[in-house]
Amino acid sequence: MRRTKGAKALAFAVGVALALSACGGSDSDSSTEDTTSEGGAATGETAMTITYDIVDEAVWEDGSPITVADFECTWQAALNTPGSLGTTGYDKISTVAAGESDKQVVVSFTDLYAPYKGLFGGLIKKAAVADCNDISADFQTSINYSGTEWKMESWSKDQVVYVPNESYWGPRKASGKLVMVPKVENGIAALKAGEVDFIYPQFYAGIADELADPNVKTVIEYGGDFEGIYMNQGVEGKDANGNVREFSDAAFREGFYKSIDLDALFQQIYIPIAPEGKLLACGPMIPGKYCPEGIFGNKYSLDDAAKALEDGGWEKDASGMWAKDGVVPEVQWVINTGNKRREDTQAYLIPLLKEAGFNVVPYNCDAACYFQQRLPGMDYDLAMYISTAPPDPAYLVPAFAGDQVPTEANENKGQNYQGWVNDKATEALKNSDKEVDDDKRTELIKEAIVEMDKDYMMIPLFQFPKSGAYRTDLVGDVEGQLNNYAAFNDTYMWKDLNGDGQVVIGAEQWPECLNPITECANSSWYVWTVGQVLAPGAYRTTNDGKYEVTELLKSEPKVETK
Amino acid sequence: MKRYVARRLLWLIPTLLLVTFLVYVALRLGTDPVESYKRANARASKKKIQQYIELNGLYDGAFGYVRGYFKWLGGFLTGDWAPSIKGRTPVWPNLKDALANSLRLGVTASILGIFVGNLFGVLAALRPGRLRDTAVNTGALIGLAIPPFVSALLLQLLFSIYWQKWFGYSLFPTSGVYPPGHQGFDLPLMLKHMALPVVVVAIQTIASYSRYMRSSLLDVLNSDYLRTARSKGISERQVLLKHSLRNALIPVTTLIFLDIGAIVGGLIITEGLFEYPGMGRFFLVAYGNGDFPQLMPFMVIIVGSVVVFNLLADIVYARLDPRIKLV
Repeated sequence: MRRTKGAKALAFAVGVALALSACGGSDSDSSTEDTTSEGGAATGETAMTITYDIVDEAVWEDGSPITVADFECTWQAALNTPGSLGTTGYDKISTVAAGESDKQVVVSFTDLYAPYKGLFGGLIKKAAVADCNDISADFQTSINYSGTEWKMESWSKDQVVYVPNESYWGPRKASGKLVMVPKVENGIAALKAGEVDFIYPQFYAGIADELADPNVKTVIEYGGDFEGIYMNQGVEGKDANGNVREFSDAAFREGFYKSIDLDALFQQIYIPIAPEGKLLACGPMIPGKYCPEGIFGNKYSLDDAAKALEDGGWEKDASGMWAKDGVVPEVQWVINTGNKRREDTQAYLIPLLKEAGFNVVPYNCDAACYFQQRLPGMDYDLAMYISTAPPDPAYLVPAFAGDQVPTEANENKGQNYQGWVNDKATEALKNSDKEVDDDKRTELIKEAIVEMDKDYMMIPLFQFPKSGAYRTDLVGDVEGQLNNYAAFNDTYMWKDLNGDGQVVIGAEQWPECLNPITECANSSWYVWTVGQVLAPGAYRTTNDGKYEVTELLKSEPKVETK
Repeated sequence: MKRYVARRLLWLIPTLLLVTFLVYVALRLGTDPVESYKRANARASKKKIQQYIELNGLYDGAFGYVRGYFKWLGGFLTGDWAPSIKGRTPVWPNLKDALANSLRLGVTASILGIFVGNLFGVLAALRPGRLRDTAVNTGALIGLAIPPFVSALLLQLLFSIYWQKWFGYSLFPTSGVYPPGHQGFDLPLMLKHMALPVVVVAIQTIASYSRYMRSSLLDVLNSDYLRTARSKGISERQVLLKHSLRNALIPVTTLIFLDIGAIVGGLIITEGLFEYPGMGRFFLVAYGNGDFPQLMPFMVIIVGSVVVFNLLADIVYARLDPRIKLV
């Protein structure tokens, strides 16, 4: 079960923004109920201010206080670092200044920003970097600061070891050691052999049998994860070498979509995992109030596909493949090697797509290459992955707004790796960020998703179950946060039952570098293994999909709109 | 002999220069380091890409290759190595660890495998066609026929997973060099983690060397000069230890040195199966990323070890066989 790519991103600090956040006004808990004036788009220099009061005792691992300077540094790093994964939200901030003291942070916005709870989700310690405006060369092999209950003792390609942060001031007291090791290939074997206490695997047909062991318990829940297939339209329709990305052609996308029998695919791939499961038909979104009705889903019809393609100037060549101007495009489909479910999907679909006239070829590589190179580099035609989405739909903005396609012009910022540019959707998404009225905001989100459906820009597949498997004889109290967007962020509470002084988590993916802003952090596993463990933030997500103020703040931040 | 060794050592220098230049050219043509860098750092600015090119001497044109090679060589010899393209991590610490891990695993498995394999080969050759010979031959065939991924899986299932289920603890771990959380050197723990991969490698080595030695020793035992020795009344023990084994070892020794030279390159399959961070895994990751700064030093070590162990094989060969004169 679970997780593979990052919900679009979660660069932690940025993640700020995305990850933990995306938040905003979706449910009552995450909306702007503290707003002191009526909502609506504001104009002028300062449309909104948020005042954060940091608790007096909040300090970094070296005893230095966490102050406004760290908030300011986080803002600058997320906004200005070349290659920043997400600038959304931070680009609306005009100043981060001290209030009554350096423990009071006043953040001014040029525009309303409803999902503000996603900002400052992972603070960067100013004293740990030379230049807050460009931290791209920092934190490659170590993060030497912490404002949480854990601090990093060592990190390597083989393991990361956390020990309690003795300077930590809050209620989340940690003890013993927290160890995470990469278990890309043999996590289940390592769990059954008792070498690791806990794994968080992605489900595939047969995994339940593989996990069967009297000492292993598996917990499955449905949260914000969803799997889909994404069509890369390139930057202005081109790849890095200036060649045409075929999926930039709307007719090609429509024909491709309608050539896949999604119901049959679902029966083949997902029913063995979840017999009661249903095909996801919400776009990049789990079912809920933001999901418009009557969109996406199975539109399989080879006749309709042919009509769409022929109307778009495509015709079948002598070999039965769709061609334009005599050229049959090669569609490169990337997944991470070793992911059995995705490999099964390729094995099932590629021959069928060939029959339907599409020359689809695997373009696979390992998880690090996939999520830290090919996706952020937009080096693919088709990509299949799970997004670990936060409870609020604000994550749609950095992932799908037209100005979030990473290009040289915007210093490669943003996470719209599909290159999807739809002005109507972009406007709706941007307005949703500024809309504090929950009903209106919901409509704006729906409007954007409807555009996605009309554009055939992706193929949603399944709301994916989250699962944790653990040794009941080695570790206890692990089930509290398994459904959390920031999964297993309560490791300080886990009980070491075998008395070896440590809790060991087997990680399905392993970050190759530790920078919290750049593509190093483009993976949920980065957040789980590094980001959330070390970086204090203003809010954290809860297991039931809400946001709560962390111990860093005295109280809920004060939000004022002009 | 001394002149021969000195001359060979002198020849090592141009040989290494030539081979590393060819490797340099092959890697540049085969992996396109600049494109690989761009893929690995999709959001790198033009300035950073240019810095990478300068740092690694990746100049264009035929002359650029020569100039670039000497730029790289200068950095390599002075220890000024360019960092990895992934995360800008320094190359040497990871390469050094990988080399040490592979040597530990490979040498241990080789010593065990060569000793046991040769012993079985001798035992088989002394009784050709008898039960012992048949047993050794059959065992060798089985050992050779079982691929490492099968023996690894069986060993992991038996000694790790089922042992845990039956006895509540795992006899040998399934992966790694040390258990999770461990830091620093600990010989017993290290040996425990090496046990299964060593056995997997040793199975193949034992099987191979038992066949080599049996064949080589049978040739020697049936030779005319041994018949002469026996006719002079020399005991069978002396025939075996003084005359037969030494001669039978000559071809086997060459193989031993060549095999040990190859170990430096890593045991890709075994290291993969046991998630063992050796040279094989180092290479796979570096090659997969097109990581030029990691691949060049790796290749230099491989080339160097092959050349050096070839030289050692020649020297030992000459020492074992007085008929061979190295001049």
